[in-house]
Formats: sequence, structure tokens, C-alpha cells
Amino acid sequence: MSKELLKIENLKTYFDTWAGVVKAVDGISLEVEEGETLGLVGESGSGKTVTALSVLRIVPRPGKIVDGRILYRGENLLEKKENEMQKIRGKEIAYIFQDPATSLNPVFSIASQLIEVIRRHQNVGKQEAIEKAIELLRLVEIPDPKIRIRDYPHQLSGGMKQRMAVARALSCQPSLLLADEPTTNLDVTIQAQILGLMKNLKKKLGMSMVLITHDMGIVADMADRITVLYAGRVCESASTITIFYSPMHPYTEALLTAVPHLAIKREKLAVIPGTIPNLIEPPSGCRFHPRCKYARATCSEIVPPLEEIEPEHYVACLRAKEIAIRSPLES
Amino acid sequence: MDRKSSMGSKSPGQIVKKRSKGVSQWSIAWRRFKKNKAALGGLFIIGVVVFMAAFDSLIAPFPPNDISGFYKGEARVPPSWDHLFGTDNLGRDVFSQVVYGAKAALYVGFGAAAIVMSIAILVGLVSGYYGGRIDNVLMRTTEIFLVMPFLLILLVFLRVIIVLAPSGVGGLSMVTLMIGAFSWSANARIIRGEVLRVKEYEYIEAERSLGASGRRILFRHLLPNVLHIIIVLTTLQIATAILVEAAVSFLGFGDPNTITWGQQLQNAQEAVKEAWWEGIFPGLFITLLVLGFSLLGNGLRDALDPRLRE
Repeated sequence: MSKELLKIENLKTYFDTWAGVVKAVDGISLEVEEGETLGLVGESGSGKTVTALSVLRIVPRPGKIVDGRILYRGENLLEKKENEMQKIRGKEIAYIFQDPATSLNPVFSIASQLIEVIRRHQNVGKQEAIEKAIELLRLVEIPDPKIRIRDYPHQLSGGMKQRMAVARALSCQPSLLLADEPTTNLDVTIQAQILGLMKNLKKKLGMSMVLITHDMGIVADMADRITVLYAGRVCESASTITIFYSPMHPYTEALLTAVPHLAIKREKLAVIPGTIPNLIEPPSGCRFHPRCKYARATCSEIVPPLEEIEPEHYVACLRAKEIAIRSPLES
Repeated sequence: MDRKSSMGSKSPGQIVKKRSKGVSQWSIAWRRFKKNKAALGGLFIIGVVVFMAAFDSLIAPFPPNDISGFYKGEARVPPSWDHLFGTDNLGRDVFSQVVYGAKAALYVGFGAAAIVMSIAILVGLVSGYYGGRIDNVLMRTTEIFLVMPFLLILLVFLRVIIVLAPSGVGGLSMVTLMIGAFSWSANARIIRGEVLRVKEYEYIEAERSLGASGRRILFRHLLPNVLHIIIVLTTLQIATAILVEAAVSFLGFGDPNTITWGQQLQNAQEAVKEAWWEGIFPGLFITLLVLGFSLLGNGLRDALDPRLRE
């Protein structure tokens, strides 16, 4: 444990649109250790997905990685050639997409999609690839894998499709799995099944995982550590327990307040006032200051650095030490 | 699949066998196509013409360009049992000529469509997938072809080529080639549009995330997903090419040494009043064949379009 697998330093990914440059990711740094699950949390548009796509260097046009380093096992992925990246994608680092309904190619059977990936990255014959594919389906707990493997995506339910997508992502035993809201489009019971499955597989295969979500309940269950993003920057990064029980960033507090809680009876769900900022011209200083109830004049002037306030607890807030936030979960 | 109903009577082994084949989108489309009577009618018409072309010398009662009737005083005789569709000014049997013309019609139709679709698919795929500057260059070129007065340019080119080229060049193949070279632009744009739609799907992104190269994504993953459009466009393109060849020949720019329905029409125009059968029958076959391909094309579109799924 505690060996660094992925380290992102000061990543900046910008989208050059007709309206201006959208700074979707603007100086994000984070780490994933071997065998660990990192929860990447934030509102829509906070840069979670773009960060993950940047790791594989598949940011869609007109997005461009303009600065930073992405170290995977000590090697900077941003310096790799495209054909070297193709060998890493799917083999070393795999990606699970949000929507299982559209992440499988509708014109090919499950078998041919799995075999294609297996044979791309592993030097095996067709027969062996078929056996491996069946084994994968068994791994993701699909009943009758020998029969099911010949199905086409439209013959499967949403949960089954996501299992297939998980199987395809795991087909070459990647060391790192980037799961981008893997259960958002599934209903709650299926969601629980898929998450349970991913948790087991992660343990079984000894992978690391970056779990992207805006569901605080999911990260509480799955993640070892959490990094909270806001408007393309890191707000706070600490162990899951620390984030939930002693958060120090006002945005983390606001996020936790917005989570419905069985023990706390409220008339209405709490909301964070305001909307996420325009990323073409983001607010000056701390990007959260227009929505922050603790904001002072200096917050709009100085960009707060990400500081280690306690051991293993990083916070980017000028007033982190003064405001003494109590976890909303404890009230 | 009706799994439950077969559960009771058959042994488990048989059920597995029945279930062990996945249902691809193509088999679903075929099932839907079979129910479409108009499309099957179109297929039947095409079948008849293909049969005519394949066994022309067996079906036609007279050899091609047989003008022996002329010397027997049988020029421009109306339809009779000897000459089912009558004869033309040189005493040629119109029915035999129509039969021999089938081959030419199919040759032009399929040949021109093959050329058109090869260019259109390549331009459409590359332009849609890569976007940016490549897209810009290809689409502006496409637009140049799109705004040209197609038939006029075609006629000029054919005339120039026949004048300039050594004898022997400028036959039906040249007509086919020219039709192909000048009518791909609209199809290229349609295919590009479809690629633009399909490439936004997550499965294309997913393939990239699994380490597929650009070329592999283009031909292995995008192409099959726009194939339904390509099939429909090809069918309709065949119909258009047949019509264009008929027009070119009718205007006297075709290949005078090949029997085509268009050539027959041209031959017939000097005596429309006296010998209606000279023009009516080739014209009827042009109409029928074009109708056949159009019906087939429409049927295929209905069968293949995922949005029309009931």
C-alpha cells in the first residue's frame, strides 16, 4: 500500500470555443495510491469528467491539455506518443462510461466487442479470447455467460449492459479504473448491485479506482479518500471519514448539507445558493466566494493555495483555520 | 424471443440451441423488410430485369441489331405476335432490343453507384470523423461539385472526351465513369451528417478509451453504424444513374454502339406519332426499373432506420 500509482500535478485542460476559452480544469492536482479508491466529487461542470478524460488523453475537441503533468507509475503520460497511449488505454488504465445504453456498439455482439479488446492488448488466439471473454462475464456475475455472450446490446437490460461495460473495461486487468458516474443512469437497486460488484472486483484484481460521482452516498460507501472539485479546482482532499466528519472547506460543508439525511428531518432539501460559475470568466480569487457564506473581501482577491492543514488533509481556503466548520452530519 | 413458450415442450438442450444465436440488428431489419409488400414488389421488378440481362440471348427472339427485317419490309411495324413490341425504323425487333438493353441499364446503375458510393463514403467518413481543417477542405470541394449544373457538365465532358480520345474510348464505361465522378457530392454530405451524429455516441469514445486507433474506429466502428444510410443511398443512386444514362443517351451524347433503353428512346423521337411502340416500351422499362429501385430503397430505409422501430 501507499505506493503512488497516479499523480496529477497542476493539470489544466481548456476548451477553445467560439464564446471564449472555457477553463474546465484549471490547475487540478491529485494522487491515487495503489489499491485505493479515490472519490472525485463535485457538481456538474466542476471538471470531474474532463480530469479523467485528460488522464487517457481522450478529451473531445476542442478540449486541449495546456499545462501540467500526469504521472502514471512515474511516467508522464502527456509526453507519450499517440501510439504509446493506445497501448495504455484499456490495458493499463480503463474507463467506464456514464451511460451503459450507449457505451456498447449496437451493431456488434457482446462477444465480438470483448474479443476485440482482448486481442488488441493480449497476444492470444481467437479461441482463447472467447474463453477469456466468457470468464469475464462469469466475473461480472452474468448468468449463462456462454449464451449471453452472443447477445447484442439491445437484448440486454440496463444493469446487464453496465455489467458488460465493466467486463470490457476489466478485460485486460488494468491497474487503474476510471469510473465516470457508472451508476447514474441505473435505478437504485441495480446501482447497489453494480457498486457491490465493482467493490469486489477491485479487491479481487487489486486495482486502483477513481470513482467520479456527485452522489455523496456512493463515495461514502466506496471511496478511501475523497477529492472535492469546484469549478475546475480542488477544494479539499482527505480521507473519506475526514471529509464527512471534519470538513474544513465551506463548499464541502455545503455539499454535505445538501445530502438528505434520514436522522435529520427537514421540510425541504437544502440547496447551495447560486449556480456554478461561468468557466470562461471565472470569479477572481477563490472561485467559490460568490456563493460562500464565510466569504470576506480578501477571498475575491487572493487565490487560495491547496495547503496541508492537518496531516493528509488538504484544503484550499484562506479562512480554513478560522471558520471552524462543524460537519452537517453531526448536528 | 419466446423463451417461456418453448420451455414446456422442448428439452433444455434445444432451448439453449435456440437461444444461442444473438439477434443482430440486421436480422431484425430483414424481418421488417419481409413484411413490406411494396419493397418486395420492387425487389421482384429488379429480379425480372436481372433475369432478362442474365439470359438475354435466350429470351430475345432476334439477335441484337438484327436489321434483316428492314429488307423484308418490316420497318416500323406495330406490335404483333412476331414482334411483340413492334419494330423500329431499321426493322429491329423492339422487344429484343429492350431485352438486350437490360444489361446496359444494370451496368450503368451498379457501376455508377459503386463509383459514387466509394467516393461519398470515403469523403463522408473522413470529413465527419476528423472534422476541423480536413472537413473544411473536403466539404468546400463537395460544394463545388454540388453547385455545378450536373447534366450540362456531364454532356460537355462526354462530348469533349469522345472528340479527344482515340476511338474505342468513350463507350458505356465512360458514361458510367462520368456519372459516377460527378454525382457523389450530395451522398457525401448525407453520410458526413450521419457520421457527425454517430460519432458523438459514447461507444465511439469508449473504443478510444480502450486503445483503438483512429482508423480502426473509423472503419470498424463508425462505418457499420452508418451502413444503413449507405445501403439506402446506394439503392436510390442506382435508380438515379439509370435515369441519367437514359437522359444522356436520349440527348444523343451516349454510346451509339451499345443498345440501351435511352438509345432506343432517342431513335424513337423522330417518329413518335407514327410508331409509338418504339418509344413506349423502352420508356416503360426505364420507369419500371427505376420504380423498382426506389421501392426497394424506401423499403430498406423503413427496415433499417432505428428511429422507425415499432
